[in-house]
Amino acid sequence: MSEKKSQLVIDNVILSFGGLNALTNVSIGIESGAITSIIGPNGAGKTSLLNCISGFYKATSGSIKFEGIELVGKSPYQISKLGIARAFQNIELFSGLSVLDNLMLARHTHLKYSFFESLFFYGKCQNQEIINREYVEGIIDFMELEEYRKAVVGELSYGIRKRVEMARALTLDPKLLLLDEPMAGMNLGEKEDIVRFILDIKAERDIAVVLIEHDLGVVMDISDYVYVLDFGMKIASGIPDVVAKDPAVITAYVGGESLI
Amino acid sequence: MAINRWIQSGNYRRSYKEDQTIFATFSEQASLIVFLIFLALVPHMPFMNRQLFRVVDLAFIYTIAVMGLNIVTGYAGQINIGQAAFMGVGAYAAVTITRDIATPLFQFGKTLPFWYIIILLPLSGLVAALVGAFVGLPSYRLKHLYLAIATLAFQIIFTWGVGHSPFLNQGGSIRIARLDFFGTVIKGSKTIGPFFYYFALIVLIIMAIAMRNILRSKYGRALIAVRDNDRAADAMGINPGLTKVYAFAISGFFAGVAGAIFALYNGSVIVESFSLSTSIDFLAMAIVGGLGTMVGSLIGPSFMLFLDPFVEKFSGFAQTIFPSTIDVATAMRPTIFGLIIVLFLIYEPRGLANWWRLLRQYFWRWPFKY
Ligand SMILES: Nc1ncnc2c1ncn2[C@@H]1O[C@H](COP(=O)(O)OP(=O)(O)OP(=O)(O)O)[C@@H](O)[C@H]1O
Ligand SMILES: [Mg+2]
Repeated sequence: MSEKKSQLVIDNVILSFGGLNALTNVSIGIESGAITSIIGPNGAGKTSLLNCISGFYKATSGSIKFEGIELVGKSPYQISKLGIARAFQNIELFSGLSVLDNLMLARHTHLKYSFFESLFFYGKCQNQEIINREYVEGIIDFMELEEYRKAVVGELSYGIRKRVEMARALTLDPKLLLLDEPMAGMNLGEKEDIVRFILDIKAERDIAVVLIEHDLGVVMDISDYVYVLDFGMKIASGIPDVVAKDPAVITAYVGGESLI
Repeated sequence: MAINRWIQSGNYRRSYKEDQTIFATFSEQASLIVFLIFLALVPHMPFMNRQLFRVVDLAFIYTIAVMGLNIVTGYAGQINIGQAAFMGVGAYAAVTITRDIATPLFQFGKTLPFWYIIILLPLSGLVAALVGAFVGLPSYRLKHLYLAIATLAFQIIFTWGVGHSPFLNQGGSIRIARLDFFGTVIKGSKTIGPFFYYFALIVLIIMAIAMRNILRSKYGRALIAVRDNDRAADAMGINPGLTKVYAFAISGFFAGVAGAIFALYNGSVIVESFSLSTSIDFLAMAIVGGLGTMVGSLIGPSFMLFLDPFVEKFSGFAQTIFPSTIDVATAMRPTIFGLIIVLFLIYEPRGLANWWRLLRQYFWRWPFKY
């Protein structure tokens, strides 16, 4: 995979917390329109890497470029505006608000009216609200959340909240979607739904997806490219079939046996 | 269908536009109109006397300040212990702009024309909004209690600063000319009471509509987002620091407008009107009314102000029990108000607005229980 075509280029990133490296010289390229998975044992640094991309952590050194724009040093809201959306591992929804309001919040930067116009509401402000509400309804249909539309998020089950989290990231209309264990703790049926959504996102919406997932069966099934992290270092990368047979990966995971 | 619209119990909105409406049913709209007509008639009631006018007029003015406080504290979740000082900024802005700029510029005599007041209110609001934004700046870095201390510091600096400015008469009384309302000079309690009743009420209604519109727009949602989860807000492209700063600015604007009306109402300003204890009263009003609810900021101030005379009476009564060497009466008011805040925070954090909601629900669903 040539790095020139990459939408997101992570180059030699180091992230340290008081001398301890969570990431050591990580270099990764994410291609547009593809599903790229990042796997690795617990504590490998996967979430830390996403935090560096989305601006919640600042890489100690190295560079992260999205479509040529340096992300290191930018705030999360600035990075979000560039078209990178993220669903958190530990659900970070607005728990007191309805599903609808959570998704409408993701339209914040798409709602084009000024504060002054909002004082009067009718007119431009209302039109914008309606147009964006229609967009949100599209996502609600897509993610099959119709019955929860008006439900308060804090009262929903874990699986549905995970799905709302993913829907909200999608509502940002991103070019790159970062999903941190979107199907953790789900039953088989729910997992299949999420897999279907991810494949549809790639196929219908042409959004690049970065997937962190512990279920290697799913990862090897749907990924175009896989990176493996262990102790903050990249230990392998390649198409699923190659990575699955990589001795370093097998040792990192189970200490010898084959992965699938 | 016609009848159904009056008593519909569920939500049957058919378009996104209908979904944005504020009042769901015709009957809600109708009761609002009836209530407004009632409010318009109150000054003509036989029981209205000077004291009652004073209570109601003050309630309206304080309501405007508390609406602002509710935006920053209730909706954006940033505790503000200096709302009275922001109101003071508005009041002093109104007085000094009139004294030092407008009077020489427009050659005002003993009275101020009404058009000038229409300009003065938003101007005073803007000054307080700027100060609000400035005081809110630390919210880029500070959180929760630390920010509360920053607003407390502002309250103290305000009182100290005004007290040491010869320009502001060291906090002593500064007069502002009376209003000339199209030929009628608003002077003496007979005209001041009713005039400011209507004037403050109309400003209050305009500000309430503006607040309602802000809250259902993306700017209002951003406030709630920052309060609920500022990491997630950040990920949604919302700048949390900036959002908090503009929450303080909006809150300051409301306080400033309230302060300007307050100055005109009294015909003068003194720094004691904008003390720390008034700031805490405002917080009490917002909490008792219900933080983060529109209805809360509308009923909280009136409730507390109408309670005040009873607390006063009770303090007087309590004083008769204790020996006169112990000054119970002055300690009674803050004690009781403090107790009310604590009780509400523990037992009804959603405030009176929640009682109102339950009552309304019960009423609309009657005769069904749920
Ligand atoms: N804010 C922080 N301060 C200190 N150490 C941190 C911080 N965030 C992460 N770490 C450390 O960095 C390492 C990588 O953590 P990270 O959460 O990125 O792992 P992960 O691969 O996402 O694991 P999991 O699969 O369990 O989610 C861990 O050792 C963790 O303790
Ligand atoms: Mg993780």
